[in-house]
Amino acid sequence: MKRLVLSLVVLSCLAVAAGYGAAFLPGPSRSWAPWCLAIGTPGMLLSLMALGALRRGRLPGALGWTFAATFLWCAAAFAVSLALPAREGPGGPLLLGLPLRAAIVVYGVGLVPVLILPFVWALAFESLTLGEEDLRRVREAREAREAREAREAREAREAREALEARSAAGREAPESRGGAPD
Amino acid sequence: MRPLLQASLPPLAQPVIVAVALVYLVVVAAIATWAASRTRTVRDFFVAGSGIGLWTLAIAKMAATLSGFSFVGGPGLVYAIGLAGVFIILPGALTNALGAWVLAKKLRLLGEVRGLLTIPGAIGARYRSPAAHGLSAAAILVAVVGYVATNLLALGIVIDAIFGTGLTTGIWIGMAIILTYTAAGGILAGIYTDVLHGAVMAVASLAVFVFALRSGGGMDHISRTIMDADPAFLAPWGAAGPMTALSFFFVFSLGSLGQPHVISKFYMLRDPRQFKWYLLLMSLALLVTQLLYFSIPLATKALVTTGAMPPLATPDQATPMFLLRFTPVFVAGLVFSGVAAAIMATVNSFMNVGAAALTHDIPVAMGRRLRHELQWGRLSTVLIAVVAAAVAQLSGTLVAFLGIFGWGLFASTIAPALAIGLHWTGATRAGAIASIATGLGVTLVGESLGYFRVYTLPTGISVSGLSLVTSFLVFFGVSWLTRARAAAEIDADIRLVMEL
Repeated sequence: MKRLVLSLVVLSCLAVAAGYGAAFLPGPSRSWAPWCLAIGTPGMLLSLMALGALRRGRLPGALGWTFAATFLWCAAAFAVSLALPAREGPGGPLLLGLPLRAAIVVYGVGLVPVLILPFVWALAFESLTLGEEDLRRVREAREAREAREAREAREAREAREALEARSAAGREAPESRGGAPD
Repeated sequence: MRPLLQASLPPLAQPVIVAVALVYLVVVAAIATWAASRTRTVRDFFVAGSGIGLWTLAIAKMAATLSGFSFVGGPGLVYAIGLAGVFIILPGALTNALGAWVLAKKLRLLGEVRGLLTIPGAIGARYRSPAAHGLSAAAILVAVVGYVATNLLALGIVIDAIFGTGLTTGIWIGMAIILTYTAAGGILAGIYTDVLHGAVMAVASLAVFVFALRSGGGMDHISRTIMDADPAFLAPWGAAGPMTALSFFFVFSLGSLGQPHVISKFYMLRDPRQFKWYLLLMSLALLVTQLLYFSIPLATKALVTTGAMPPLATPDQATPMFLLRFTPVFVAGLVFSGVAAAIMATVNSFMNVGAAALTHDIPVAMGRRLRHELQWGRLSTVLIAVVAAAVAQLSGTLVAFLGIFGWGLFASTIAPALAIGLHWTGATRAGAIASIATGLGVTLVGESLGYFRVYTLPTGISVSGLSLVTSFLVFFGVSWLTRARAAAEIDADIRLVMEL
């Protein structure tokens, strides 16, 4: 599953790169370039969220469906706005106070995810995101690391002290030899 | 991106506005003094002792996310290019969730297991690499000075408009206020003042949204008025076209994973289990605070179209002119305090991140840890503030240049190595270093070429977007080429955090 999610991140990134790359091609601007960003950016966002939600290489079905649906929703909002003819002139249709295409983008991408993702996060938090067992393992790892670092520091200190003792003994020996009568 | 404020504000020196601003400063000073007295260790100074609660985290993070740009420059941009300017804040509905799923838990657990203080520290620990640690800290330092200078210039403009101090004096007064509490109390003082800043910003934004709708005769009427006169303004991509708008969306969504002044706050939560309701709180706070960004330019456009408001001298006049003409003076005072609040919150966080890079990350990356880190942290905060204030008053164009690339530089140097690296054991040290270097190089070279008019990118393409997508691809490519060494480069405790 992790390989699949990572592949989606890379593919989405390549789509965005293709959109940018198209702008550098000679001739008139390519009409497909915005489509690359319209699909690639939500693709990167949602596949990265899925990557973050993976536990031991598995993505629980509910989360997987949520991310997939959110991706489709956002990409579709951009795509519909790109595809629909412009009708923002006098008498054009309004949706919730904005021209239709603008409303699809502003409410669809800017508002709807807020109504879904925070609740999915909260519902999944204890069972899928962070539990007591996880915290216990992290604290044990910290204690083990601290114990190892303390042991290494103690061993380094003892080694240093032993070295200093030997060099002090080395300095004293010639002095005592030199001071002794033949 | 364009600078935070492009023009001077109209004079705001009315008694009520001055009084609101003065009361605001007194409250900030009181909070800062209290918080500074609680700053005793370097952990307090850089990560608030990892002891803040959920509400504090959410509001402070929101305040740090939104700079003064959200109140003045942003609405001005929408006024100038139509709805394309909204694509800067549009990703907010997704970026909070992105940060929560990708970074919140991992960074907090890294802080738990390693006692980390900074974002470069996390990169260094993940790849067991002083080079990646130092390089990301250097990139942060470069961007911080420019960002702080831009924000200090904006704060100087606001202070000058309210108190009539003159721009230079305004810059130094603003710098002195922020420096006082940042150097004394570090991020701990910053966090608690940010709660005030965030609350003021949210209340101000909500109030202005109501006044904007009322003055324009409701959303339907505002839209109809604009559609009659300038249909392109309310096209989904505004007057700038789909590539520009979607490029904004790409940079400001994925780029959010690399903003150190915001994501470092994940280290600060007292109990990682409190993250459960973080996303809901943060999303609502951000949504409310962005209402002003959206409503003022649309209402102003409609009012100018009908002749109820005279044409604006510059787009940045949209917020101040609307407030002075269509809201009670107390609300105007609250919003101008909100602008100052947003700038102060952002500058405080940047100064703290920059000081950490200078006194903690770079020395640690070079194998040396400073003694008396707390004192050095305070000293470097002063240094960054003074350098940034000096830069801010040197040249408007230089400040604009420095401020332009901050977001993109953070994004392209940090996002791939951190956000993907914490989830993919196949990511390698070489991939991280190459990606950071690519982000740094493409941003600095690209922005310089554009600034000096040596080369201009095609329409709709920004250097930030180009450097971000390039650094992602370089990260994947180099990691794949060097994948044989990937597994050996991860410590056991880091691997545990990555698995959870």
